[in-house]
Amino acid sequence: MGMVSASTLRRWQYLLGIVLIVVLGIHLAFRWPSYEQSISYPVVVNQILNYGYIAAIYILLYAALAHGLIGFRTLLLELWHWKYARITVDVVLIIIGVAVAVIGTIALTGAILTLAH
Amino acid sequence: MSSQQTGTALQTTAATEKITITKPPLGSPIRRTYVFKVKRYDPERGGGYYWREYKIELTNHETVLDGLIKIKWHQDATLSFRYSCRMGICGSCGMIINGVPRLACETKPYDLGTEVVTIEPLSNFEPIKDVATDFSDFFRKHRSVKPWLIRKDETEQFEKLETYYPQTEEQLNEYLEFAYCIKCGLCYSACPMVFLNKDYLGPQALAQAYRWSADNRDEGAVLRLKVVDSENGVWSCHYSGTCSKVCPKDVDPALAINLLKNWLLTGRRRR
Amino acid sequence: MAQQKQVKRVPPKWSLWFRGGLDEWLLIFQKVSGAILVIYLIAHTLVISTALGFGHPSELTWNTVIGFVEGPHVAGPAHVGTIIEYLIALLAAVHGGANGFRLILTQYFGVGLPRPERHTFPRAVPSVKKSGQAWLKYVAIIVVIIFLILATLVAFVW
Ligand code: SF4
Ligand code: FES
Repeated sequence: MGMVSASTLRRWQYLLGIVLIVVLGIHLAFRWPSYEQSISYPVVVNQILNYGYIAAIYILLYAALAHGLIGFRTLLLELWHWKYARITVDVVLIIIGVAVAVIGTIALTGAILTLAH
Repeated sequence: MSSQQTGTALQTTAATEKITITKPPLGSPIRRTYVFKVKRYDPERGGGYYWREYKIELTNHETVLDGLIKIKWHQDATLSFRYSCRMGICGSCGMIINGVPRLACETKPYDLGTEVVTIEPLSNFEPIKDVATDFSDFFRKHRSVKPWLIRKDETEQFEKLETYYPQTEEQLNEYLEFAYCIKCGLCYSACPMVFLNKDYLGPQALAQAYRWSADNRDEGAVLRLKVVDSENGVWSCHYSGTCSKVCPKDVDPALAINLLKNWLLTGRRRR
Repeated sequence: MAQQKQVKRVPPKWSLWFRGGLDEWLLIFQKVSGAILVIYLIAHTLVISTALGFGHPSELTWNTVIGFVEGPHVAGPAHVGTIIEYLIALLAAVHGGANGFRLILTQYFGVGLPRPERHTFPRAVPSVKKSGQAWLKYVAIIVVIIFLILATLVAFVW
C-alpha cells in the first residue's frame, strides 16, 4: 500500500476506533440482561430481524476488521524488518480481511433473507 | 538537596560599601565509600557481558563520572567510558545508573542514596567497549530528519547573505524547549518502542524534526513531515512518555512527537 | 572495529516503567490486547457464520455450534465460553479505554497537548504527567470499572 500515506491510514484507524466504540457498545448492550438467554436461538432470530441492530452488526464487522487489521499490520511491521515485509504483510492481511468480510456478509445476509420470509 | 552542611561561613566585606556578602557555606564534604558495579564488555576478551565491582570513596560533591575517572586512574586502567565536558552539556556520558538512563556527570552517588551503584551501558545501543556505546545509528536517524535551517531560496541563504531572519520572543518560545537537546541519547535508550522497532527514528530525532519545522525562519517543514510520516517515524510512538521522564534537559520529546502527529492529522501546526 | 560483536543491545529496564505512571504498560497492553482481539474477531466471525449455516440458519445448527463453542457448564449459568467472551469484552474495553481513546483525543484533537513553553529548568513537568492528560486516564479508568461491573452482572449473575 505504497499509495496510502501512514498518516492517512492512521486517520482511518482513529475514526474507525470512534465508530467501534459506538457499534461495539450496541453489540454488547444486546447481551443485556442475561448473556445466556441472549444467545439462545429464538432471541437470536429476534435480533437478526431487528434492522437497527443488524445495521450496527454490519458496520461492526467491517469497521472492526479494518481497525484490527491496520493495527495488526502496524504491529507486524514494527517487529519484522525484511525487504519485502511490507508487501507480504499487506497482501496476506488484505486476503484474510476480504475473505472474512465476504464469509461474514454471506452468512448474515443469507440469514436475514431466510428469516424474513 | 540537603547537602548544605555546617561549616565556617566565609565572610567577605566590600570596603567601599558597607555591605556584608555572605558566601554560602561550603562545609566539610561528607565522605562515603561506594561500590560501583559496572557491567563491562570487551570484544577482544570474548564471552559477552561481565560484571566488575570497584570500591571507591567519594564525597557528596562528586559525581558518578568522577568516581569512574578515579577508578580508571587508580584501580583499573582498562575501564572504558565516554565523557568530555563533565558539566552536562556535551551529552557524551549517558549510561544506565541504578537502572535509569542518566548523565554520569550530573548524577551524584550521594543523591542516589544507595551504597551500591550499578552502572551499565545504555540500553537500545550496541556496546563498543564497557560503558561506551555505538551512536552511529542514533546520529544517522538524527541526520535523516534534516535538522538544519532550510530555505527555499538557497542563493539568498548561502551566497548573498543580505537578509536577516528576524524572530520574536513568541516565535522563539514555539521551539526553544526542544532546542535544548544535547543529543545524549538517554531518551532513545529509555524508549520501549525503540527496542521493539529497531528502525524507529526515536524521540531525539523526532523532537528535532519538530524543533526545526516549528521555527518561523525555516521553510523545510514539508520535507521533514514526509520523513516522519511513516511507520518508523512518529506513528511508532504510543505516547508512553518515558523519553520525557528521563531527559536531563527537560526537552519533552514526547510532546514534540505528538505535536508532529497532530500536525500530520490536522494538516496544520498547533499553536 | 574488525571485531565481531558478541553481544546485542539490551532492552530498557522494566523497572524503569514502574516509575512515574503506568504509561509504558498501557503501550505494551495495547499491543498485546490488540493482537488477541484481532485473532478473536476473525475466529468469532467464522464461528457465528457457521452457526448461521452460512446463510441458511436453523435451530439445529445454531444449537450444535454454539453448544460446542460454549463448552461445559461452570459455576451457575455460566459456560466456559461465557468466561472467554467475558474476558474478551473486558479486553476490548480496556484496549480502547486505556490507550486507544487517549491517543485519539491527544493526537487527533490535541486534547491535553500543552503548548511548548519556556520551562523552569531543571525538572519541568513532562507533558504526559501534566493534569491535562491525567484526567483522561482517570476518566478511562472509571469507564472501564463501570463496564466491568455491568459485564460481570450480565455474564454471571442474571
Ligand atoms: S531529547 Fe533529552 S534525552 Fe533525548 S537526546 Fe536530547 S537531551 Fe538527551
Ligand atoms: S561529560 Fe558532557 S554531558 Fe556528561
